[in-house]
Amino acid sequence: MSSSLKLLGEIRQSSERRPFEVLKLAEPLLNKGSIAQAGDEVWLVYEQVFLAAIDEGQIDVAKAVLEILHNRFGEESQRVKRLYGLVSEATGHPEDAKRLYDDMLEKDATNVLANKRLIALLKSQGQYVQAIQELVSYLDTHGNDFEAWLELTHLYLDQHLYSQAAFCIEEVILQQPANHYFHLCYAEISYTMGNLDVALKEYLRVVELSTDNVRGFYGVKLTADRILDITSSRGSGKSKGPSHLKVENAPQKAMLERLSQLAAERLLAIYSGSGDAMKKTLEEWLKL
Amino acid sequence: MTEYTVSVQAYAKAVLHCAKHPWATVHGLLLAEKKEGKIRFVDAVPLAHNWTNLTAMFDVALQQAQQYAKTKGLSVCGYYVAYEDTKATQLSASGALLAKTLVEADESTVAFVVDAKKLTPGSSGAAFVPYVYAEPQWKEQSNAFGESGKGNGTKGASFVLENNRVVAVTRKLVDERAEVWVHDFDEHLDDVSLDWLQNQALSERIRTT
Repeated sequence: MSSSLKLLGEIRQSSERRPFEVLKLAEPLLNKGSIAQAGDEVWLVYEQVFLAAIDEGQIDVAKAVLEILHNRFGEESQRVKRLYGLVSEATGHPEDAKRLYDDMLEKDATNVLANKRLIALLKSQGQYVQAIQELVSYLDTHGNDFEAWLELTHLYLDQHLYSQAAFCIEEVILQQPANHYFHLCYAEISYTMGNLDVALKEYLRVVELSTDNVRGFYGVKLTADRILDITSSRGSGKSKGPSHLKVENAPQKAMLERLSQLAAERLLAIYSGSGDAMKKTLEEWLKL
Repeated sequence: MTEYTVSVQAYAKAVLHCAKHPWATVHGLLLAEKKEGKIRFVDAVPLAHNWTNLTAMFDVALQQAQQYAKTKGLSVCGYYVAYEDTKATQLSASGALLAKTLVEADESTVAFVVDAKKLTPGSSGAAFVPYVYAEPQWKEQSNAFGESGKGNGTKGASFVLENNRVVAVTRKLVDERAEVWVHDFDEHLDDVSLDWLQNQALSERIRTT
């Protein structure tokens, strides 16, 4: 298998959105016909190229690829059908797309692809309330689709509905407890809401579940230091600090200081591999 | 009347940050030099393209950017944001709060929302919509940059691009995909060797275009 095909496969695996590179890799394969080397996976590659072409506004390329897929899978393939909707969306005909998705859902209300496309369409039209409603109703029947819960988290965050977003990310964590990325999201939502004790706990989980997680260590230091600040000023009666900041379930002072120190040490160790400018920036920040 | 000028380096870096993540909300800071009541934005420091409504890493990045600015004799008094929703030109609630953090440290802070419509190939003029703080709100200065980059903002603030090449240079850089040279704080957190504060290779690219 050619290296281009391998790279395209890796991009598909990681779900990264790199349309420019996908098109650059795929163009020679398509022109020379060597795309057939992908064997059974060739249809996945075509779908990938289609999506990249749509992202880059190369509608002609998208339509050409779509025709190839249509010829192979025919009228009744739902997976191909929804790609027609994407063309409509990309060429400024959202009504046509909506009609297609509604149609697909009428024939089969459980059609996941059409459902998700409809929600994405509503979102792109700025109809956030409706998008949220549709997604909530989708999750009623597909409660174990953690990616959908993650999308709902983002929709709520976009609307500044932090506690609803927190609820959703908690669902994701229930289903995927070992994935540090979700704990990170939860930590940052909690920090934003002022729940510093939860944020600290979640940041600690992040560094426990992954190696050299810079975000995680910054988070541990940031939250530990803030909690120390607040509890000391509250304790001395000098100033109470913003009252919405929750620190009740945080560890004791000695533990917080130790955590802050450990996080600093880990950061310094990680940054030892970076340039002088960045090292200096970290050192200065740690002095704050 | 405070005169705000936006240099090609600041403008181009901010727009290229948007170009790198076209389907996401991106935001960042602007650094300015202040002389005789005039404020000149000389550089942009891109912050994030993910979780832009969450404040934890913003707090870390802001502290580091403020320290850096001090070493260069500059001030962090600009905030820019480009929304995922290309029709949005209103400063969002979280954007207003983040910009407020800046204005509390430096009262000459202004916020800019990037108007995606002005980034399309056929359009001209600055794509920045300025917002000026008039407690407790941020007031939009629509058409502040005017047709030919000449400032005509209201309420004691005027905005100009540093010269009439800024938009053209930026457009050229976007066409050349120079956005690969932009590294924001989000990227730095994944790879600490990336200098998100200076993005020197990009600065050089802008200088020589």
